[in-house]
Amino acid sequence: MNLKPRRRNTDDPGSSGSLNDLSFLLIIFFIVIAGFNTTKGFLITLPDTSRPRLVHQEDLMRCTLKDTGAIILDGQEVSLDELRTVVQSKRTSYPNMTFLLVIESETKYQHVIDIIHEIRRLDVENFSFRMEDNVQH
Amino acid sequence: MFSIKRKRLKPSIATSSMSDIGFLLLIFIMVISLINQRYEEKIEYTEAQQLEKTEADENLEIWIRRDGAISIEGDYISLEYMEALIVSAVSQDPMVRIHLIADRNTPYKYVDEAVKILQKLQHRVVSFVVREEL
Repeated sequence: MNLKPRRRNTDDPGSSGSLNDLSFLLIIFFIVIAGFNTTKGFLITLPDTSRPRLVHQEDLMRCTLKDTGAIILDGQEVSLDELRTVVQSKRTSYPNMTFLLVIESETKYQHVIDIIHEIRRLDVENFSFRMEDNVQH
Repeated sequence: MFSIKRKRLKPSIATSSMSDIGFLLLIFIMVISLINQRYEEKIEYTEAQQLEKTEADENLEIWIRRDGAISIEGDYISLEYMEALIVSAVSQDPMVRIHLIADRNTPYKYVDEAVKILQKLQHRVVSFVVREEL
């Protein structure tokens, strides 16, 4: 006769098995949250005002950004897509092209960022911008 | 004859201390994330795709609201004081990265004021902070 008490295979109430998973998930959560805090944007090198650069007239592409967000290129309003096409074609003919953006004072910052984003996407190395009033960057 | 039978133990990995380690790690990461917490102005961020990471070891964030109010670490300041703060930050660490964080509806003239001060101080590299468009 087996008098040995039968051991029940029950869960230990003090078991901390799921706590591992929980804390691991929390760690992942905090690591992800910390990742959101990294600053992203565009690194802009401001030109030296004391040493202005000379640019050939044919290498220069002047674009005006109006208060309304309208992009004016050679006196004509163009869309962002059209601007992209024009810049791309100009770059093939003039690899040292300089893109000068003249911004009207009341232009919303988002419109300026849109143009900078486009220029960065097109890898235009020589990019300059200034506000329309007087001082040149 | 006696047969000494050895009770065979089931192989198992002790996990009782794992929760303590996990908990300590959790506390550590929480404290670190609290230390890293930065001041944030309530603005509508500008958005774009394909951004680059502009954060450096030392950073100075200049917030520009849509009405042109400038703040650094929660204090609203004048342009003159902003210039003084930039000078002090650069003198402490010449590699400090200046971040301009402006509301998407801010007229560019307010951003330009800050840019002009940076140019005046010969601080050539500036970060225009933008939120990634989803």
